[in-house]
This record gives sequence, C-alpha cells and structure tokens, in this order.
Amino acid sequence: MLFCNGKGVLGVLVSWAALAAPPGETARSILERRCLTCHGPARMSGLDLRHIDTIKKGGKRGPAIIPGNAEQSLLYQAVSRSGELKMPPDQPLTAAERTLLGAWIQEGAPWDQAAAGTPEPSWWAFQKVVRPVVPAAPVPNPVDAFVLQALERQGLKAVAPADRRTLVRRVYLDLHGLPPTPAETAEFVTDAAPDAYEKLIDRLLASPRYGERWGRHWLDVVRYADTGGFETDLYYANAWRYRDYVIRSLNDDKPYDRFVQEQVAGDELWPGDLALEGVNEIPPRKLRELEARIGTGLYTIGPTYHEAALHGEQLRYEWLTDAVDTTGQAFLGLTIGCARCHDHKFDPISQVDYHRLMAIFAGSEERQVSVVSKMGEFGYKSAYPSVLLVEEYQNAIGRLETKVRNRATARIKEEFPLEAVQAFDTPAGRRTPAQRESADQIDAALARAGLQENAAGKNFVPQYTPEEREERERLIRELGQAALKARFDPQTATILGRADVIPEVRMTVRGDFHGAGPVVQPGVPLILGGVGDLPADKKRTALALWLTTPDHPLTARVMMNRVWAWHFGRGIVGTPGDFGRQGEPPSHPELLDWLASEFVRQGWSLKKMHRLLLLSNTYRLSGQFDAGNARTDPDNRYFWRMNRRRLDAEQLRDAVLAVAGTLNPKMGGRPVILPLTDEEKSGLWAPHQWPTSLDPAEHHRRSVYVYVKRSFPYPMFSMFDAPESSVSCPRRDATTVAPQALALLNSRFMLQQAGALAQRLEKQHPDDSNARVNALWQLALSRSPSPAEMDQALSFLTTTGVGSGQTSPLAQLCVVVLNMNEFLYVE
Amino acid sequence: MSNSLCSRTTRASSRREFLEKGGLGFGMLAASYLLEREAAAATPFAPKKPPLPAKAKSVIFLFMHGGPSHLDTFDPKPLLQKLNGEKIPPSFGKVDFQFTQMDAAPLMASPRVFRKRGQSGLEISDLFEHTAQFADDLAVIRSCHHDGFTHVTGQSWMNTGWGRVGRPSLGSWVVYGLGSESEDLPAYLVMLDGGIKQGAPAYGSGFLPAMYQGTVLRTEGSPILNVHRPEEIPAGRQRQMLDLLHTFNGQYAETRREDSDLEARMASYELAFRMQTSVPDLADLSQETPATRALYGLDHTETAEFGTQCLLARRMVERGVRFVQLYSGGNKNGSTGWDAHAQCGENHEIMARKVDQPIAGLLADLKSRGLLDQTLVLWGGDFGRTPFSQGSQGRDHNPYGFSVWLAGGGVKGGQAIGSTDEIGLHAAEDKVHMHDLHATLLTLLGLEHTKLTYFVQGRDFRLTDVGGRNNLAPRLT
Repeated sequence: MLFCNGKGVLGVLVSWAALAAPPGETARSILERRCLTCHGPARMSGLDLRHIDTIKKGGKRGPAIIPGNAEQSLLYQAVSRSGELKMPPDQPLTAAERTLLGAWIQEGAPWDQAAAGTPEPSWWAFQKVVRPVVPAAPVPNPVDAFVLQALERQGLKAVAPADRRTLVRRVYLDLHGLPPTPAETAEFVTDAAPDAYEKLIDRLLASPRYGERWGRHWLDVVRYADTGGFETDLYYANAWRYRDYVIRSLNDDKPYDRFVQEQVAGDELWPGDLALEGVNEIPPRKLRELEARIGTGLYTIGPTYHEAALHGEQLRYEWLTDAVDTTGQAFLGLTIGCARCHDHKFDPISQVDYHRLMAIFAGSEERQVSVVSKMGEFGYKSAYPSVLLVEEYQNAIGRLETKVRNRATARIKEEFPLEAVQAFDTPAGRRTPAQRESADQIDAALARAGLQENAAGKNFVPQYTPEEREERERLIRELGQAALKARFDPQTATILGRADVIPEVRMTVRGDFHGAGPVVQPGVPLILGGVGDLPADKKRTALALWLTTPDHPLTARVMMNRVWAWHFGRGIVGTPGDFGRQGEPPSHPELLDWLASEFVRQGWSLKKMHRLLLLSNTYRLSGQFDAGNARTDPDNRYFWRMNRRRLDAEQLRDAVLAVAGTLNPKMGGRPVILPLTDEEKSGLWAPHQWPTSLDPAEHHRRSVYVYVKRSFPYPMFSMFDAPESSVSCPRRDATTVAPQALALLNSRFMLQQAGALAQRLEKQHPDDSNARVNALWQLALSRSPSPAEMDQALSFLTTTGVGSGQTSPLAQLCVVVLNMNEFLYVE
Repeated sequence: MSNSLCSRTTRASSRREFLEKGGLGFGMLAASYLLEREAAAATPFAPKKPPLPAKAKSVIFLFMHGGPSHLDTFDPKPLLQKLNGEKIPPSFGKVDFQFTQMDAAPLMASPRVFRKRGQSGLEISDLFEHTAQFADDLAVIRSCHHDGFTHVTGQSWMNTGWGRVGRPSLGSWVVYGLGSESEDLPAYLVMLDGGIKQGAPAYGSGFLPAMYQGTVLRTEGSPILNVHRPEEIPAGRQRQMLDLLHTFNGQYAETRREDSDLEARMASYELAFRMQTSVPDLADLSQETPATRALYGLDHTETAEFGTQCLLARRMVERGVRFVQLYSGGNKNGSTGWDAHAQCGENHEIMARKVDQPIAGLLADLKSRGLLDQTLVLWGGDFGRTPFSQGSQGRDHNPYGFSVWLAGGGVKGGQAIGSTDEIGLHAAEDKVHMHDLHATLLTLLGLEHTKLTYFVQGRDFRLTDVGGRNNLAPRLT
C-alpha cells in the first residue's frame, strides 16, 4: 500500500516525486507527453485527458481519477499496470512518472487553468465547429434556409429556378463530367413524378461515372501525377493504383474519415497480407485492407527532386516537405509551406510545428507490395527463366555490337604511331605530359567517330558484315519470341511503410536541409491542439486519428467547402486551399459550420452531402443575371444565381468524345498515353518517356485516365487550365485565350471527333438534314434547335459557294456546334 | 450580333452604344458597371503602363541549353592557363558537382584565345568572333551564381527564379506585368531547336493563370500548335463557320449580356482567326532581303537553324511580342547541346559556330532598325562549367560562378560586372544571384520587382522571392 491516508507518508511521497522528476515536470506534462496521442483530441475509448473536467468524467470505463484516492483511480491502476488495463500499451511510464501522477491524484488533482497548454484560438477556422440552429424559413432544406437568410440580410433576391433541360445538363456535367444523352435528357424532362429530380440525383450518384469526375477533383487537391518531374521525370509505375483507389473510394461512398485515415496511415491501421485461406481467391477482407494501404500511395507520387539524389539527407528532406505541405493543403486546407523556413507570418503555425509534422513522416518510406497472392507470385517466379532468356539475348546482341565497336576502335588506333597508342593505353593518371597530348589526339578521333562520349552527342553507327547483320537480326527475332513468353515481376502497389532506420528531424535554418538545430519530436500544430508529442511508433496513425476526430476544427469544414465550391463554382470560403488568416473569410459561416457538423453526423458520407446540396433550391437556381443584385453583389458571393462555368479540360475532352459517340467507358488501369502530333512533340525532351498507347481504343478513354507527366503535361489539358501538379491545386482558373480557339477549331482531335459525330448523325438519319441538325443539337446541347438556328444550320449545310473542302459540311457544322459557348459553358 | 469580322475594340464600342441606348432596359449605372468589368476581362493582355520609367519594351532571351562554359567564352582566367593539369589548390574551397570529385580532377586550361575587343577592351574569346564585334554593346555579368547543379534545377533557377518546378517563368511574369503590344500574336513566344530538359515548365506560367504561359513557335511545319487551318477546310469555308458560330453565340448571349467571359471567348475566336494569317506571315522569311538573310547566316547549313530563330525573334519584337525566348542545344537526334562533359573544346566550337553569327546578325539588325534601344537581349544558360576537367577533356556543370550578358534595352555596353575567383570556380566580387539578375531585368522593363506579386498559397509571391538586392539596373544604364 503506497498511499495510505496518513498525511505524513503522502508528504514524503510528494516531495520524493518532485525530487525525482525532471525540473518542470508535472502530472499535466506527463499526461500531455505520454497519453494525449490517443486520449487527446482522438478521445480513444471516449477518454480525453486534456482537461481536468474530462479527466474526472472519464471515458467508457468510467472516471479516470478519484481525487484524493490514487489506489482507486483507474488512471493510476492503468499506468502502474496493477489491474486489467495496462497503459500506455507499449512503453510503460517510468517509476518517477508513475509516482508523480499518483501523488498528484492523492493531492486532490490540482489543475492550474492558467498553465493551459493551448490558448483558445481566436481565428474562426481554428475554433471548434458549433452546430448552428437552422434559421426559420419557409423552405425544407436547411441549405436554402441559411442562403435565404444571408440574401435577405444583403437585400438580395434569388433569381428564378432553372428549367429542367438546363438542370439536367448541369447535374450530369457536375456529377459525371459528361453531358446527358438525348434519352437521359428526355427521361428527366418528361418525368412528371414529384420526385423526378431526386431519382435523377440518386441515379447519377450510383453510377461509376461519378467517381471518375469527383475523383479528378480530389486528384487536383493531392497534386496527382504519373511521374516525378525534374530531369529524370521518373515514371511512377503504380501511381495509377492510387488514382483508381480514389475513384473507387468515391464510388463506394467510403466515409471521408476513413478515406483520410487510409491515405495518411492505411499501412499502420490496416496491415495485412494476401495469403490465401484455403480458397483460390484472396479473401475480400484482405483486399479491402490492401485497398486501405494503397491509399498511402498519396505520399509516393509527389515531385522527386532529381538533384537531391546526391544527398540522401536532402532527398529525405524534400520528400518530408512534400508530405507535410500536401497534408496541410489536402486535409487541413492550410498553406503551411511557409513555415518550413520561418514561423508563418500570418498563421500561428510555427517552424517547430512544421518540423513536428515532418517528424511524423520521418521513418516512413515507400514500399512495393505485391497485389497478387503467394500463389500468384509463385507463378511469376516459376516463369522467371523466360525473363533470363530475354536478358541472354540482350547480352548477346550487346556482345555483337561490342565486337564491331572494338574493330572500329582498333582501326582508328592503327592510324596513329605506336607511341601514341601506347600513351593512350597508359592509364590517364600515369601519362607524361607528352603522352597526354598524343592520347588526347586518339581520344578526339574516337569521339569524332562516336566511339566515346563526345562533344556533339554523336553515336557510333556500327558497320556489320552481312553475316553479323544476319546474326543480329536472328537474335532480335529470338529475343522477341522470348519476350512474348516472359512474365516480368509480379504486379505491385507502391505504398508507404516503415523504414528500417528512423532518422531524427532537426530544426533547420531557413529550410536548409543540413539541419543543425535541436531534435524535434513528432506532433501536430499547437494551435490546433497538439500539446503532446506523438508516440514514436504509429505516428501517422495518431495523425490520421487526430485529423478525423469529429470535432476537428478544419477537416470537415475544409472538405465541405471544397464540395460546395465544386458544385457551385465558388466556395463559401473563396480560398478553398487557405483557411488561414490570409484566406477569405466565409460568406456564410453558419452554413459552413452546419454543413461540417451535418457531414460528421451523416457518417462522413459525401454522397449524402451531395444529395443535400443538389436537392437545394439554391443549386437549382438559373444563371439569369439581375442588375439590381449585381450592384450589391457583383461576384455572386451570396449565391443569388447559379454561376456559369466553362468546362474544364477533362470535362471538355470527355464531352466531345461522348457527343461524338466515341467515348470508351473502360475504367481504371495503367495511364493512357495519348498520341502526340509532331507539333506537340517538339518540346519533349526524351521521346522514349512518352510510350504512346498502341491500342487506338485507348485513345478515347476518359481524361482522368490520361498520363500526367510532370515535365510535359498533355498540351490540350494545360491549354485549358489543368493544374501543373507540383503542389496541391485547390481551385482551377478558367482562362480565355486564342490558342484554345485554335485547338477547338483546327486540331486533329477535334476534326476526327467532328467527323465521327457527323457519321453518327448520318447513320441515325440517312437522308434527312433537318433530323440530323435536330439530333446534333440534342446530342451536344440537350435541346432542339430554334427555328432560326435550324434555318441557319440548313443554309450552312447547303452553301457551297466557297467550296466545302474535303470534310463534309455536316462535319463542319459539328465543329461549329462543339465550339459554341453553349457547349463550352455549364449554366 | 454582327457576323462580320470584328475586332475587340469595334465590338466593345458597338456594345457600349447598344447598352447606353438602353436596348435591354438596363439603367446607365448597370451599363457602365458591365462595360468596366468587360473591358478588364476581355483584354487581359492589354498593354499596361509600367510603373517605373522603362528602358526596354521587349526581351529576347538567348538560352544556351546544357550550360555554356564561361571559361571559354566571356570570362578569361590567366591563372587557369598556368595551372593546367594541376590539382585545384584547396584555397578555392570544396563544393558538390554532379559527376566529378573535384579534388581528383586536374584543372584544364581553356583552348581558346581571348582578346580585348572594341573601344572598351572587353575580353571575349575567339568562339564568339562575330558577337565580339558588338563588345561595346555587351554588358557581361561574370559573377552569376545559383545552387542548381543539374540541368533542370539550373534551368529552373534561370527561367523561374527557383530551383524546383512549379514557379512561373520570367516571360510569364513580364507579360503578367506589362501585357502585350501585339493585337494578333501571342505575347510570349518560345522557339526550341529540340527537346529541353526542363520541359514545358521552362516557359510555363506556374501558379499564374495559364494564359500567361509561353507559346512554342516552331520553325518547321505548323509554326504554332493548331495555327494551320486544316487542309480539308478551305479558308472561305472556315470564315463561314466562324460567322455561323458568331451567329449562334450571339443568340445565346442575348439573354446573357452581362457575362464578359462569353464576349471574351467570342473575341478570342477572331484573334485565333487572325493568328492563322499573322503567324504564318510572321514566320514567312521570304519577305526578308537576301542581305538580311545572309546577315543571320541563313545561307549556311550550320547557322541556318539558329539564324532563322534569331531573324524570327526580330520579326516578333517588331510586331510587339513582349517576350521571346530562343533555345540553342535542345535534344534532337541525340545532341547534347552545350552540355560538354566530354571534349569541351570541340563541343563549344560546334555549338558556338551555330549561334555566333546569328546572334551578331540579330544585334546588327536590331541596331540598324532602331529596335535595339527598346529590346533587351539576354544571353545565358543553365550554368557555367568547371575549371577542372571531367572524363575526356570535358567540363562538368558549375552553378557557383558563371557569365551571362545583356545588350540593348538601354544597357550601357562594353563593361564587365563582377568577377569569379582566379580559376573561375566561384563568383567572387559583386555576386549576382538569379534574383538579382531577374530584378535587374524587371527594372529595365519598368517593373518594380518587389511589387510585381501574385497572391497564391496564402501569400504574395515574387519572381525574386526575398532577394534581388543587388539590382544592377542603375549601373547598367
């Protein structure tokens, strides 16, 4: 019995504890350092050890302490490992720590409010979400109630709702990134049922096209690319698995908290293997866990700073920077990159905070894991000899070339005097000055022939004898045969895992990776409640759980604002990537908080939130202008009408393919590498880095599957403002420049698609121009042409004065329609 | 809505008239508000008056891809000649290079001959005999430095003022700051002679809107992506197509008159249509006299390619293009460009022969047409090269000290600014970081480098970050 009721003993213990503890150590600092990772914001088992009130209240197992009675206090029992519960699970407290905690409880658990670690933040976005009361309004949808209240306050009046045809087009392009087919348009426009619109939304959300569209939004946020950028522009063979993971997660309506957890710490939270369990298929549970681990691919697809490869330390530092910046942007909506070099000037994110976040990722590194079972791996391993055979033929071809090179080298050397050749054959370091000169001459002659590295990058062209040529061709044929049978390595996914060595993170001076400052422990930013260090083990788990605590001030708000912005063309916070002090304040703070709290309440379901937003009257407003409203609110910050938006790069290309009837709906898999025209290719450094997909059917797949090469973005996409993918892109521009018009009028792509569209129309209506024009309007614009348009189109089709050229007038009309503003903009 | 070919200005004025007459029942206030917004949106490239007195209106940036050796061109080093074959004395310090362990590599003298040129006596090597005739127009900066010792990082420093990908290029900043003087050509044009290692980010707009990105103009085939009307569609027919498009768009816009985006896009089709004529016209060198063509070396195989680029560059600035960048040494058929890791002497002879006469021709031509005063010509590359040898008489990359030069645009020529150490390894006196160089360029163009900012990722970004204190502009002019 350590703690009896005798005051004397207690006094001794307290003073002993105080002596043994490091200076400044208190019960509170022990709790912060050792317990808060799980029992802080993450509130594992419902226990929050950050405040005395919640400590007394305790968690699922009841109160954590009984002030004045350490023996009976669960907390003390757990840390002293005397009962069933043993905490912390891995690293027990030291005796001094235990004693100090015990003495503190025995003393009545005094708690100094003033010493509170975390000041209550003054910036709105760092304060907890408090679910606001929905304003009273004659509308059933709370979204409308909030919007209406703001409109009234501003003296604005919402415009009329959009007509059904406008609405169906808007919803399809929004949720699927594709225009509705004429049949889909008609189905909705003529559906008299009162719930016609709800059915439409549910149908669209259930379609896999939804994940392809909304997955692309998320890929913007996480700076997705298939290569590493810089000179080598490394090809990330498995980046697409992350891309497909995102698309699948959205289609499955994976709860957003789980989606975040998987990306940050899927490997730690859902470890597993793919071993078969007596069946010939990997159990679905194991595949789900693999899927969760693939989420961490997020941290394996950033820019890889080629130059840094010279310094392991720098390479690591650059990777950590990308990991922290991307985490800050994607999940917290904060631009914390500034804090790499100095305390954030505008936000209370300190340089220490930044390095604490880095320390969370230190010790993680990319890992290849097989996506096939052991049985499958055995298949690859047993087929390995054919890979060796390919290598054998490669080597044989190489030997033949070496033979020819050696012959050519010998021939050149023969042209020089013996002394010069001797000089050349002497190792460079041992040559006399005279020898150096003659050796240089041979060097230069060999360089001129391309036989060694040379000034002009000239390559040796081997002169084979007829027999050699024949032999070489035979070898190449054999190599091809062997390659046809070869199975290379088993398929893998690139995920994040734990490194063998966990490097320490030190404070740096102005971001210079030669860190000489003090060692920094892992932790989350102080202003966001990160008072304690995280455990050395499973640091990312702690981060993931912290990010997804239901009352995290940023996670839900930031995501709801993004979703709002992608639906409405503008966020409630106009700067979706910056919720800090430099960002715009929210136009509707209560609405945002209500949405954030509703999001959590709905189990972090994105589809439920889409439904809520899309069913609002606000979403269904027309895009009609109102001069009175515009005087007060020219930028439509209060959503008195729907914003008109230009299709983005992917929507545009996909819409053209869909209308032309050429869209290949195949989902997933390796990136599609579209053919480039000669003009487009002119800036490409290494053409072999653009291994064009040979199957023409691949060329018509959806844009989300198109190869994203950091050093050479697909020209049509960058022309239409696709993100440049080195850092998170929270919001795309929509610029208007002449090269876009040139692309849409003159490019091969547009002409081919217009041709395909014309053929489609001709096939549908073999000899009826009116019907063709009508079908064209239905396909491209979801409506019939007006009488004036019909006349104008028909007269264009029959005008031959200037000669219509080789394309059919109908194909030309298709080009015109695919260039119409009505096609390029969503109302 | 009229079907006729209409320029931005006529369209705007007819719209003003239309709106002011109250055709749509808008009040005057609404009308003027709309027109104001439209003017801003429809002409993002309208020329802007620079805040400072500008010496230059446009820039021609001659980029030697791969990194030309300063030691063999514009920075003579007598001590290096003496120490040929010896190890580097430790007093010069130790730094990282991409391929070479510097303490193992012997110093290598320049095989070139430097001579004092012009009235000023500026020393230039015999690799640039033609260019050297303009020594009194050149201001050579011999103390440039950055820390990017691979190509992409070096090119990124030079082109974007940052050693990683993702920042806007110099040309994008300039066009963002100054707009365009040309009604029917892109404001920022780039000519390549093969693939470049930095790829599209070299002329990308980074976080600036995509409209500020450079447009690649090719000297073969279709000069600008998609600028050739498809053969299958005759010119007259295309005009009919555009007229029809305008008719449809006009009908669509009738109930959407407030949206300046729609208007801007309609205008962009007219600009595109004009570009189909103006770009081929720009690229049509048959309009040049034989004497001019000869001046640029178009009649010699070696100089024809870069000569064509230089001549096109003159035609561009003549037509109001704001920023032109030319590359020598891109990858075509395995060329290593100026990246002389082996046989540096021979490499530079080949490369310099390709560009020397064209550059001199460009300077002469700009001068005789009175364009040099308002055109800033900048010559440079990824970095310089090492004083020690690599492999077979090559030189490795050296970002720690190298040269660039400026001419025209009010720059006082015949001077060398700054210096490297005695073997040309490090910038030594009057160091000029890329931020300083960029600050200098912006100042010469009348822009304040500390005020040319763009707000993104939570803060204002500058081309010159927090640097640019060694602004050379006052000393250069």
